[in-house]
Parts: sequence; structure tokens; C-alpha cells
Amino acid sequence: MSTNPASPLPPSVPPAAAPTPPGADQGVGSAYGAAQVYEPVSGVGQERRRGRATPVLAVLLAAAVALGTYLWVTTERWRDTSAEWEAEAGGYAREVADLRLQLDGVNAELTSAREQLATATDRITDLANEKAQLGDENVASQQYLEYQRRVSEAAGVVATALGQCTDGQQELIGYLKDADSYDPADLERFETQVADLCTQAKDANTALQQELQQ
Amino acid sequence: MRHRLAAACGAAVVVAVTTAGCGVLPPLPEPVPVDIVPTVAPSLAPEGAENLSPDGFDAVERMAVRIRNVGCSALSTGSGFAIDEHTLITNKHVVADSAELEVSTYDGRDIAVDTASTAALADLAVVRTEDPLPSYPDLAEGDPVAGDPVTVVGYPEGGALTVTTGTVIGTAHDPLNANLGEVLVTDAPVEPGSSGSAALDEEGHVIGVVYAKTADGQSLLVPLSTLQQMLDDDASFTPAATCN
Repeated sequence: MSTNPASPLPPSVPPAAAPTPPGADQGVGSAYGAAQVYEPVSGVGQERRRGRATPVLAVLLAAAVALGTYLWVTTERWRDTSAEWEAEAGGYAREVADLRLQLDGVNAELTSAREQLATATDRITDLANEKAQLGDENVASQQYLEYQRRVSEAAGVVATALGQCTDGQQELIGYLKDADSYDPADLERFETQVADLCTQAKDANTALQQELQQ
Repeated sequence: MRHRLAAACGAAVVVAVTTAGCGVLPPLPEPVPVDIVPTVAPSLAPEGAENLSPDGFDAVERMAVRIRNVGCSALSTGSGFAIDEHTLITNKHVVADSAELEVSTYDGRDIAVDTASTAALADLAVVRTEDPLPSYPDLAEGDPVAGDPVTVVGYPEGGALTVTTGTVIGTAHDPLNANLGEVLVTDAPVEPGSSGSAALDEEGHVIGVVYAKTADGQSLLVPLSTLQQMLDDDASFTPAATCN
């Protein structure tokens, strides 16, 4: 690394007396390079380090065991929960399937009911129209009957008037056969009255005929 | 060596704390709830709700009435519509010269008539009924403009209840001189017997009253403004002339 080839520093401990610990860098590739210092190691020191490392390792082991236990428990719990959720989902899926089936049936019934309602409303409209038309026909029939009644009544009046005209004319003919027995002025007045009566009867008959032709 | 061991321990502690703190370690699962169905059911908008009514007929049909004018020697029919529970609007010429007025609803029910009165300055009439009317619409806020859609509901030719649609073409002077002011012209089909029909906008609000049909098939409406003007003035209506 950054060793100076012009003035290399000698190792503080001979390589034979200071074995390189595992993982320690040596030579050019070390981060400390030639400046790294190795302490002398003896058997007592190693024992002391082992004594110090043991509790640490024990703690680490306990931690690892605790962690593994926690992960195992967690995994088991999640597995159980997953199974419960799956069972729950399965139950709801079956319920959804049933509800979908019911929904299809209800929709079919709704469609049918709507069609029946549309048919019923159309039928109600038709019946209302038929009733209205019958009402119109009834009113028209009543008006026609009233008209016929009035026409018949008018025809009766006309027939009566024509009859009175005929009677008057026959009576006038009888008077004229024996004209010497009557006052000429009275005969003339009676003749005028009969003529007026017959004119009115003819006018009434003409009006009736015109009404009947309409 | 001691430093490395301490560093390793420290690193382990740091890693343990960090992983625990960051949530890398999976937490214990929450217990599965007994019931996960929401207590409040989701609201679903029903399809076809706009057609819901007490009997399957929509409001446009329920407000329309058929008017039979029984004259002394004649019979005629027309249309009308309710504006409240006991009041009908129709044309003056529908109720004029009657001996009796007979009103029936969309479902064939007969409605007893109380009084009828007509306007002098418009082809409008108000009929009061003794029986309650099934339904009545709201009046629009103003007259429509050219291009607005229009729906006409009535009894053309005295036949079945019919709903026709079209658009407002514009306004014109009344060719029959039966109304004061201008009238609306639409292309909604109407026939004799449609007189007195309600003309409605898209929201079902009254925008006019059908009173005539032109030779080229267009329909003429008494505009809403005229109707409101007449309704606001009690003196504008007088008892309808009868044939008796």
C-alpha cells in the first residue's frame, strides 16, 4: 500500500514470534500497512481473551436462539392466521357464490316483474282508453237519442199541423158548397186562416225534411 | 483482538437494534376478526329508479287528464294537466259551450268537476275538481328558447294517453289571435284533442300549454309566461260559458 520503499519500517515483532491473527492484513494489501503494530502474544493472553469472549459468545448464542425462537413462533402464528384467513375467505367466497346465485334469480324476477308491470300499465292505458271511448259513445248515443226524440216530437207537431190544415180545408170546402148560407166576409176570413195554418204546416214540414236530410 | 470482538459485538447489537427498529423482524399477526363484514352496507344506486312510481306510471303520465266536453248537441274531447291537487289547466276552447265537463285520469278514473273558468286574453282555462288529482308537475322558471327539447303529453284524437317529443322552434304571433302576445312554436306532433296538453321541459316542468296546430304540422303553445301572468291575476278568469 503506501509503504515507502526508501525507508521501510521494520516490523516491531519478528514474524516468527508474532503470528498473524486470522484475518489480519499483512504486507502491501493491509489498510494499516507497514504502520500496523503487533503486540506480543503469549499463552496467558490467549486464555484471558478466551475467558472474555465466552460470555459474549454466550450472549450472542442466546440472542440467536431467542431470535430463532421468535421467528419460529412468528412463522407458526402467521401460518395459523393465514389458514384462518383462508378459511374465512373460503366461507365468504361460498357466501358470495350463493348471493350471486340469489342475485341472478332476483334479477330475473325483477326483469320479469318489470315486463309484467309494463304490460299491466299498457293494459291499464288501453282499458282507460276503451272506457273513455265507451263514454264518448254513450254520450253520443244519448245525444242522438235526444235528437231523435226531438225530431219525432217535431214530426208529430208537423203531422198535427198538416192534419189541422187538411181538416180546415175540408171544412172550408163544406162551407163553400153552401156558400149562400154564410156571410162572404166570414168565409173569406176562414179561408185566410186555413191558408195561414197550411202555410205554417208546410214550412214546418219543409224544415223537418231538411233536418232529416242532414 | 479485543477491539475486534468489541466491534463485532457492537455491530451485532447495532444490527439487532436496527433490524428490530426498522421492522425487518416480522411482527406477530393480529388475531383474525370474528366478523369482517362492514356494519354499514354500501349504498347501491338502483337502476331504473327514475321510473319508480306508486303504480308504474311516471309523473308525466299521471298528471295528464282527458276532458270530455258534453255540449247541448255536440261532443268534443281535449286534454289538460294538473297544477295542484284540485286544479287543472286546459284551453278555453276545450271547455267552452259545455253542458257538462267530464274529466278522467290516465288510469280511467273519473274526476268530479267543480267549476270551470276561462281567460279572456288567452286560450286558457282553469278547472277546479272536487276529487283530488293523482299528480301535478312544477312550473318551469321561465319560457324555453329555440332548440330546447319539449315533451307533450295528452290525448290526441281523444284516444289513448300519448307522449310525444320535439324541440322548440321559436316564437310567433298567434295566427288565431286567441292569445295576447307571442306564442311558442314547436315541432312536437299534436293532433286535435291534444289541446290543453302540457308541454314539459327535460326536467318535467311545464313550459307551455298546447292550443293549436299549424297547417305544416307544427304545434303552437301558450307560453309559460302567459300562463303565469293569467294565474297571478284572479280577475283574468271568468266562469266558462255554457250551452244551457
